[in-house]
Amino acid sequence: MAHRSVSRGLLFASPWIIGFLVFQLIPILASAYYSLTNFNLFQDPQFVGLHNYQRMASDELFWKSLFNTVYLTAVGVPISLAAALVAALALNMRVPGQWFFRTIVFLPTVVPVVAATYIWRWLLNAQYGYVNEALGTFHLGQPLWLDDAIWTKPALILMSLWVTGSAMIVFLAALKDVPEVYYEAATVDGAGAWSKFRHVTLPLISPVILFETIIAGIFTLQYFTQAYLLSQTRFNGASGGPDNSLLVYGLYLFQQAFVNLNMGYASAMAWVLLFVALIGTLVLLRLSRDRVFYAGD
Amino acid sequence: MRTARLTPLWAVIAAGSIALGGCSSGTSSGATVTINFPYLWGGPEAQALEKVVSDFNASQSGIVVKGVSSPDFQKQLAEMSGANGFDVSDNFGSTVGSWASKGILEPLDSYMQAENYGTGDFVPTALQSNQYQGKTYAMPIAVHTLLLMYNKKLFSDAGIAAGPTTMSDLQADITKLTKVDSSGNITQFGMRSPDYTTLAYAFGGKWYDDSGKPTPDDSGNLAALHFWVDNVVKKYGADKIKKFESGYGEYASAQNPFYTGKVAMTLDGEWQPVFIKEYAPTLDWGVVAIPYPDAQSNLAGATQLTSSMFFIPKNAPHKQQAWTFLKYLVSPAAMTQFTRALGNLPARTSILVSPLYNYLPQFSVWLNSLKSPNLRIFASEPSTAQYQKDLTDEFQRIANLQDTPEAGMAKVKAKAASYGS
Repeated sequence: MAHRSVSRGLLFASPWIIGFLVFQLIPILASAYYSLTNFNLFQDPQFVGLHNYQRMASDELFWKSLFNTVYLTAVGVPISLAAALVAALALNMRVPGQWFFRTIVFLPTVVPVVAATYIWRWLLNAQYGYVNEALGTFHLGQPLWLDDAIWTKPALILMSLWVTGSAMIVFLAALKDVPEVYYEAATVDGAGAWSKFRHVTLPLISPVILFETIIAGIFTLQYFTQAYLLSQTRFNGASGGPDNSLLVYGLYLFQQAFVNLNMGYASAMAWVLLFVALIGTLVLLRLSRDRVFYAGD
Repeated sequence: MRTARLTPLWAVIAAGSIALGGCSSGTSSGATVTINFPYLWGGPEAQALEKVVSDFNASQSGIVVKGVSSPDFQKQLAEMSGANGFDVSDNFGSTVGSWASKGILEPLDSYMQAENYGTGDFVPTALQSNQYQGKTYAMPIAVHTLLLMYNKKLFSDAGIAAGPTTMSDLQADITKLTKVDSSGNITQFGMRSPDYTTLAYAFGGKWYDDSGKPTPDDSGNLAALHFWVDNVVKKYGADKIKKFESGYGEYASAQNPFYTGKVAMTLDGEWQPVFIKEYAPTLDWGVVAIPYPDAQSNLAGATQLTSSMFFIPKNAPHKQQAWTFLKYLVSPAAMTQFTRALGNLPARTSILVSPLYNYLPQFSVWLNSLKSPNLRIFASEPSTAQYQKDLTDEFQRIANLQDTPEAGMAKVKAKAASYGS
């Protein structure tokens, strides 16, 4: 009887089990193997041991792409989460037309990323773009956003500020969960707006902030589409924007795999990225241990 | 026109369909064999190609060719990595070295020998660009060269009578034709930043030696880079040039800066007469050979040749029939029909003189460029893609004055030492 129910259970779970094996576990194991080989898609892989991993150490573009991605993660994620939090706090105020403002802030999130990137490419055009037009009106500097290696990553971060809608919604939900009584108690104790935010709101939503930071961090480590669209200039060519300043890790991995056909090296890069994400997450969890407040504790 | 330049639309298609590689296989029924022919061309070029395909299908009964426009490199690659792929497709000659070395392409020599197929009519450099280590892996249908195009109205406004002949002429013309406003911003640029690999050929440079080793620091290459950096970049400022260039419109549109008069000269290819008819019919333009360095008239007519080719992949299900079709594609009649519609240069010498191309204004200048003894090809080696990427990166740094030509090319040489390891 028990045996029968186990096999029936497996039968019903088989679509997932087969899907997991075919589309996840086997490819993951295959890429681990390929990372130890020279493989160009067309000829049999040749085993080379750890050569691909050793090669990274002296590959200038590998370090550059890692730097670009870490820059976007370390600088971009805090800025965009802070923007989302500020937006959530503002949209949590009871004002007329609240629903309208919430919709407006969320709306850019539903614009397809390719379309949005091309709109931004136009907005950030050094000569004709509205961003520089506006800066010029205030007699501010007009950077070569997409043509100067120093400005391309700030441009990507600026673009990301436009699509903070999903993080904003999560923060908004967390804010709604903060019991009103704590604020009342804080008011009785004479706390001002900043003290309430610092000592009531922040600790109570800190688990959500940690979660969002980890998710956004992992997401940014895999950054690809916008950088690809802004740097691509030639038919299937390998380009990385001005001075490779847009060559993010995912883009370099893609170019190694599908332009240079170095599948082995690309697989090795994918594994390194996994470890970078793992270490980053562990560091975040360790750092947050004393700073995140769980209601159940 | 399937030029080497990528328009945003291409990027969107490429980005959107990376994962869409699939397999398709030809089917045989009775005596008729169906062969699959996905090609990278699209739009009017695809229509011209479909005409060739339907003519072939009507000309015989044993083979039915099914053509489909499929402008996606990744899909093409994915289909060639499976067990069964398509039968014939197209690409640039520059991919031959990399693909042949990986065993992707079917060598064509045995098919040619079996039929005593002669290749004497093909433009020698065109054929050469489709060979790797002595074997022929693809057949050229069209070739492309870059020449110096100029805006006649801007020339006469500046009091210049004719296109430049020597590099000193070019330098003087760039100065006369570049206009800057009171704050140093460029409002009209004498010449669009050139393709440096081609400019180097004009200075007698070379990018590979005879044994296939990269030679980025060749003295001709350095002279070409110095010509541009010393006479243009240092004079007008790297940031000012970048700012001006950021305002360029799309290449294949009426906003191309050469059509709008933002740039007075540009190195461009033989497809331009067709493009100009479509995008800038009122433009008054001329074209001349790329100027040669003063007192080095032996370098006159130097330019870079690239080729568009057809190939049979190793995993093609019907190789013999594919060869029959491929032969037809590059036959004089089909080649004339196709290249004439696209305004591309034919890869056969016998049709270079065909009056059928006369309808294209000034096309004869490009046709004549193929007779030059200084025609050069960028060798197709397994490392070509990587070498070109490293060169492009350094060209950018040099044009930004971050590296001198000497230092930049020395860096590429150091990187090139590890290619293939």
